[in-house]
Amino acid sequence: MKTGDVPALALAEVLDRFARYVPGPGGGAAAGVVAALAASLVAKAAHASRGSWADAAGVVAQASLLRDRCVKLADADARAFAAALSALEGEDATLADRLDHAAEVPLQIADAAADVAALAAVAAESCEGAFRADSATAAMFAEAAARAAARLVEINLTVTEADARLRQAQRFVAAAAASAARALDAGR
Amino acid sequence: VTQDADLVARCLRDDPAAWDALVARYSRYVYAIIVQAFRLSDNDAEDAYQDVFLRVYDRLGSLRDPEALRPWIAQLTRRVCLDRLSSAGREEPTEAVEPPGAEQGVHDLDEAFDVHEALDALPGSCREILDRFFTRDESYRTIGEALQLPAGTIASRISRCLVKLREELEGRSGAVLGSGGKREHE
Repeated sequence: MKTGDVPALALAEVLDRFARYVPGPGGGAAAGVVAALAASLVAKAAHASRGSWADAAGVVAQASLLRDRCVKLADADARAFAAALSALEGEDATLADRLDHAAEVPLQIADAAADVAALAAVAAESCEGAFRADSATAAMFAEAAARAAARLVEINLTVTEADARLRQAQRFVAAAAASAARALDAGR
Repeated sequence: VTQDADLVARCLRDDPAAWDALVARYSRYVYAIIVQAFRLSDNDAEDAYQDVFLRVYDRLGSLRDPEALRPWIAQLTRRVCLDRLSSAGREEPTEAVEPPGAEQGVHDLDEAFDVHEALDALPGSCREILDRFFTRDESYRTIGEALQLPAGTIASRISRCLVKLREELEGRSGAVLGSGGKREHE
């Protein structure tokens, strides 16, 4: 086996799971994975800037924690999504609870993704020049993850116009968008 | 004089408050070694815990370097655990070996103890923000609302507090080395 095969296989396996397995992980889990990937890019940019940026190690630590948080949420979303689908297919008395939970997890993903975008903006403003583009990319990925997760909250059958979660989700998207704009400005 | 050296000196003068403080300071550490590193059963863990502090009480006078109180207590705890393991379920006690991962477990607990101590030495604002982010898993927004700080400043504040924490930890390891600090195990 050549060096580099293992990560390639692991990634292929992850992608296969998204492509093939039903119910399997869906859009919410994908948003979590994308936010985790963004957090990894932030960690990389900060790690590479330790020589010139006093806060770099602290940003690496935060990015690592956020990455783990997003991965856990991606897994939680896949489970919640599967449970909700299963309840929708049968006559499950817990349907409302399961749907409600299926809206709660993407809301947390949107929240975490907004944090990743905020950290990416900090990195874009202070990391070494060669890694600003990575930080800006991370911020855009994180914004996209927040937007996708918020959309899943919005279309959940239990969420109504008056539901506070809807406004929260919109706030997370606005915060992530503002952070992404900051990161892009810093990269110019 | 460090907190441990001061505690040892006061305990050796039979100051009851010092003994209480010593037990309070090390009770979680000792219990964690027993149940996390050595994985003793609940009943054995309770007995081992009592046994460790009885031995500390009896033998503290034999501790040559008061600065080395923690490694000394760790070593006592390991011996008590090994005694428990060697006699568990056997009429004739046999030589027990440490379970796999026990040494790493004690090392991890030592690190956690150091971090906990360093955190205690930080300003309250730093302690709180680090605890909220790393222990309670709170988001920047939640932390900002709770502490009435702009959410956009939280990440940078956490980074600065982590720098202080690292300085505190480095200062502590430097102080131990500076005190001649090879860690004495009885």
